[in-house]
Amino acid sequence: MLTTKETVSTTVGSVDRVGRVVYGFLRSVPTWVLWLLVIVWTVPTGSLFLNSFRTRDAQRGSGWWASVGEGGWTFDNYIDVLSSSRQTGGLATAVVNSFAIAIPATVIPIAIAAMAAYAFAWIPFRGREWLFILTVSLLALPNQVALLPLLQLFAGGVHWTVPGSETVVTLFPDLSLAGTATAVWLTHTSFALPFAIFLLHNYIASLPAELFEAARIDGADHFTIFWRLVVPLSVPALAAFTIFQFLWTWNDYLVALTMLGANGSAYPATIKIASMAGEFGRLEHLLSAGAFVQAGVPLLVFFALQRFFVRGLLAGSVKS
Amino acid sequence: MEALTGALWGILSAIGLSVLLFVGANRLFDLIVDRWRLFLGLLGALSGAAFFGILAGNRVLDGSSLRWVGVGALLFATMAVLPELLADRRLRVATGVLAGLGVGSVVARAVDSSVRPIVSTRDVLVPVGIAVALYLAVALRRGRIRPGGVLVVVALAWVVGTWLLGDVGGGSATAMAVAVLVPFTLVGAALGSGEQRSRVRRYDLQRKTRVGAFLGPAMFFVILGLVIPLLRTIYLSLHGSKGRVWVGLKNYGDVLANKKSLDLEDWANIFGSRLTHLGIALLVFGLLAGLLIGRRRGRLLEPTASSIGPVSAGVLLLMFAVFASLRGTVMNNLWWVIVVTLLSTVLGLAAAVLADRAKFESVAKSLIFMPMAISFVGAGIIWRFMYIARPPQKPQTGLFNAIWVGLGTMAPSGTGQFTVIAVLGAATVVLAGLAVFGIRRRQSGITIGSAFVALPVLWLLYRILGPGLGGVETGPLGDPIGKPILFVQEGPFNNVWLMVVLIWIQTGFAMVILSAAIKAVPVDLIEAARVDGATDGQVFFHVTLPTIVPTISVIVTALIVLVMKVFDIVRVMTNGNFGTQVIANEMWQRAFTEFNLGLGSALAVVLFLSVVPVMGMNIRRMQRSEV
Repeated sequence: MLTTKETVSTTVGSVDRVGRVVYGFLRSVPTWVLWLLVIVWTVPTGSLFLNSFRTRDAQRGSGWWASVGEGGWTFDNYIDVLSSSRQTGGLATAVVNSFAIAIPATVIPIAIAAMAAYAFAWIPFRGREWLFILTVSLLALPNQVALLPLLQLFAGGVHWTVPGSETVVTLFPDLSLAGTATAVWLTHTSFALPFAIFLLHNYIASLPAELFEAARIDGADHFTIFWRLVVPLSVPALAAFTIFQFLWTWNDYLVALTMLGANGSAYPATIKIASMAGEFGRLEHLLSAGAFVQAGVPLLVFFALQRFFVRGLLAGSVKS
Repeated sequence: MEALTGALWGILSAIGLSVLLFVGANRLFDLIVDRWRLFLGLLGALSGAAFFGILAGNRVLDGSSLRWVGVGALLFATMAVLPELLADRRLRVATGVLAGLGVGSVVARAVDSSVRPIVSTRDVLVPVGIAVALYLAVALRRGRIRPGGVLVVVALAWVVGTWLLGDVGGGSATAMAVAVLVPFTLVGAALGSGEQRSRVRRYDLQRKTRVGAFLGPAMFFVILGLVIPLLRTIYLSLHGSKGRVWVGLKNYGDVLANKKSLDLEDWANIFGSRLTHLGIALLVFGLLAGLLIGRRRGRLLEPTASSIGPVSAGVLLLMFAVFASLRGTVMNNLWWVIVVTLLSTVLGLAAAVLADRAKFESVAKSLIFMPMAISFVGAGIIWRFMYIARPPQKPQTGLFNAIWVGLGTMAPSGTGQFTVIAVLGAATVVLAGLAVFGIRRRQSGITIGSAFVALPVLWLLYRILGPGLGGVETGPLGDPIGKPILFVQEGPFNNVWLMVVLIWIQTGFAMVILSAAIKAVPVDLIEAARVDGATDGQVFFHVTLPTIVPTISVIVTALIVLVMKVFDIVRVMTNGNFGTQVIANEMWQRAFTEFNLGLGSALAVVLFLSVVPVMGMNIRRMQRSEV
């Protein structure tokens, strides 16, 4: 195979010293641009990270680039923002709340979607293609469209007044879920399903058909096949979606804000830091630490499991 | 701690309940083939418990609901199993009718006298007629009419006619009996009328129920959590602020006729804007470059970095000019969608191409990808620190204003200014050298490229030597003091600074997917092009780019859907103030702080309608891949 250098020399002819220097420089430009891009993309996060270890005075007195020579380092921002004794912080509770939302909002859709994806892929029934396409097309549905009715459902159930009488029939009971983490992860479950089914279906449908025939000949029913065959074989896809959904629900702000309303004790970390940002002046020095507490978990997950995350993204965007 | 244990309990019980339901349903359906009667009995018991539970829970039945659940389970189970015990068809029907009558009379006696319906012949006959006609139409097309089916359909229509169409309450005991006994008897007869199911048909039934068990939970959540809410939002958007009074399309009118939503008054400014002139200049520059290089290669227009770069920059500037003049929430959303989608894709493509086969490729890619893991809220906060503007007397702690004010307040003859001029001068010399080199080697691409890069450098040099550069104004004592830019507050370009946050996040997404697509381009194609003497640029524009177009379209559609509903970033950074309002934030404020259900829903429906074309495209794409 010809390298780039040789290609250039064939097109230009004999290359003198000036030419070699200039072409060498031009060829290194992409690398420079790439690393410039990397620096630009890293600086915002990096600078906030540095600032989160600086005292209030240091943060207000100079930019992070001057921090190296100045000192003023401290861990207090993290302690203050986490501890619930200070009126400013209480982020520790919020982090627990975030877990209480993100874990069920990840586990439950996966289980439900895996079953549905298996049915769509391997149990033939009438109208299967259409049902699948309609379900998956909902993944473009903006969440905003469903929020108001869902909040009404959680807050009061569905009641139907029989026309011409005082009788009210409860079609869906009032479970008083508004303001609870349950309402949040139930909502997340609904919102996640179209994408989860799409992603897992792509994978499960691509498993070899001979496998299923062999299992059926051995007398396995769908339940056994699903549990013993499909779930273990789909671990990569399941892992990809798990990471995806966990990051999504951990970082969610809209659904939690809507469903939790004024119940501050159930707020996840995103709402907490957003409301801290609302009082920018007073809590500015804690905000950087707070942002990193909230971002710490997803960043950890991201760097540890990036491979799966990327695989999930690819599976979701490009049908294999 | 309490929150934690509460949360854990919630999680565990939810998971346990789900597992129990799923395994239980599967075990129940396991019985169909070999233990048919047990299956029927259990199914009857479950539906009876549910039916009576719902009635008792709604205070329709007198007495404790727990007792009614038990009674209901027993009654329904008997009704389901009895006919199955007999072989003779006529006997089975008779048993079914008797069982139905029995159950019906129990229900009729138990229902509270305050909810007796008023039954009129018309209310009953009309739905029954319609239902039978519908059933016959469907059954005739399938070529098979089942008496059981007719009976069940009539029973359902009877319930609709007696309980739903007429008034409930104040009816006579006879009406009550008619309303309850008839449907139960019909259902009982239907249960008895079917022939005993053969083993093959039971296998068939088992397969169908299995689909239900696997698909049921997902469909439950999708229908209850997405489909019904969507329909209800559309319904609410046609009603007033409390959701009761029908107002037609008034809410939509309020959205569009509002000056805050759509303000096209200053359209004439587009043509006077400096952005327009600069954009047109760049456009012409890029087109000329394309023509020039194209003529040498025997084409009309050649797509190369030197022509595509200026053209896209020009288009972007023109877009900015348009959106800076046409204001309002809807225009802001459009601006977001166009700019973020375009720039994220282009930057992602650039990063993917630049990183391809570079040293430390994976490190560079993960660092650009990292913002994807950060929440929109967190990203908004991170960028607010970049945009901080402090009072002029204080040191600027935000990077952008530090540079801007630093440039402005640099002493006119200090080392700082000297350094900046030296760097810019050196860059100009290098670029000039490159341009000359390009002319000598007859490589017009190099010349045009360096000329394009030289434009901003020369502009900076002119500003710093002439009118001055950076944020500065003359203080009260005649001395220069800093004049920071209020990135977040100064309209209309504060919108762009907010968009930067989302571009920062989504570039990584585009890069990762495009990078995979680029690596999947067949090596033979690229090698063949290289052997034919194609340069890197030609390989990219004529081989790689056409191959990855489908991937680009996937990314663009995904981004459009995502950007259309942008909410978190705007809410955290400006909450829609300073002319940065977008539809999603407006919707949230109307619906959840003002509780104007009609207007909030209308805004949500606008969001929905704007992604309908994308949904249609997705459906078509999937249909094609299913075939």
